[in-house]
Amino acid sequence: MSSKSVSPHALCSFCFSSWLPQMVPFRGSHWQTSLLAFRASLPMRAQPKKKKKVDVKREQAQKDRMKKKIKKLEKAAPEMIPIEDFVTPLKYSDSNRVRSLPPLSFEETERRVLLMKKWSLFKQKQDKAEKKAIQTLTEAQQEALKELRLESEELYQAAIRRDEGLFPFERDGPNYTPPLPDYDPPEGRCVDITKVYTQ
Amino acid sequence: IELEKSHYSDHEIRKLEEEEQLRRRKESAYDDDEAPGKTVIMAQDLEDKWEQKLLRFEAAPRITDADKNNNRTSLNRRLDSNLMLLVKQKIGNQELWLLPQVEWQPGETLRSTAERAMATFLGDHIEAKILGNAPYGIYKYKFPRAIRTEDNVGAKVFFFKAFLQSNDLSQAELKEDYLWVAKDELGDYLKSEYLKKVNRFLLD
Repeated sequence: MSSKSVSPHALCSFCFSSWLPQMVPFRGSHWQTSLLAFRASLPMRAQPKKKKKVDVKREQAQKDRMKKKIKKLEKAAPEMIPIEDFVTPLKYSDSNRVRSLPPLSFEETERRVLLMKKWSLFKQKQDKAEKKAIQTLTEAQQEALKELRLESEELYQAAIRRDEGLFPFERDGPNYTPPLPDYDPPEGRCVDITKVYTQ
Repeated sequence: IELEKSHYSDHEIRKLEEEEQLRRRKESAYDDDEAPGKTVIMAQDLEDKWEQKLLRFEAAPRITDADKNNNRTSLNRRLDSNLMLLVKQKIGNQELWLLPQVEWQPGETLRSTAERAMATFLGDHIEAKILGNAPYGIYKYKFPRAIRTEDNVGAKVFFFKAFLQSNDLSQAELKEDYLWVAKDELGDYLKSEYLKKVNRFLLD
């Protein structure tokens, strides 16, 4: 009691007296801190009681509303991500965009048909040759593996194993003309503006 | 055909509109107040500029110098076909042109033997990718009677394929007798039996 420095309110003293019997064993600064704590917490206990409850209620109501909204959204089926390549933008279907060209002549159509036939024949021969080459390749490899097996089983097992480092296999394809020796490519930065959709 | 089936593009529409404008201006003598606001650069000018640029560009020739000299030791030779490395090696008492080969040491897999062969002939840090663990072809031959012992009647040579990634072989310590040869020129150097077997697994 003698350690009190501030004049207490009527309430404070009342509470104080009610707490006294318990606080007797604890003396000194311990008491002081508890005093201060009480003084701080007392205003909380007295008037803004309603605010706290109302706040809590309001917050809970808000949370519930949010949860309901979230549930509704989740229940609705997820939207399909539009594929930009399959949708033609509307500005390309204007009528003034259509070309007006003279109709094809008879010789032209004839020439085209014959060209198509020759091309398909050429492609067929090419395809057959490729398939034959692949066939000989696999045969040669099978033979080699058979011989290897006759030699030593261990090497054969080692050879059959899958090669993990093979894929992904990258190789620059052949260009039509070889690269120029002193070519200086123009400087610049590429900014990627593709739209990314999230589901 | 592509011209027929396509619609006009933005650039073409712009060009057509500008042509229209020019014509109208010529016929009815418009003031020039309209023009500077809109078209400072005409589409036709752009096309002319692009054509000029194309004419000025010169691509590198496909037939390089090595082709003209028929210098078979350089890699710049036939750019449109694959080249194989041939080395002259001494087998037995004969000097032969062969695909580089190295004897297998017991305790090695075949693939590591191939890598060792590459390292011996092309230098240590060569960027080549061996395709797979399995051999592609095989060539068997019997030793001539003089060398035959009871165990070693003959030898089998397994072939592996590898792609060379890096272009510069300046660090390679190749000996004098090596060649980069395309598939059809292989016949000039290899023996017939060997050649037959090798041709089976080489694509052009």
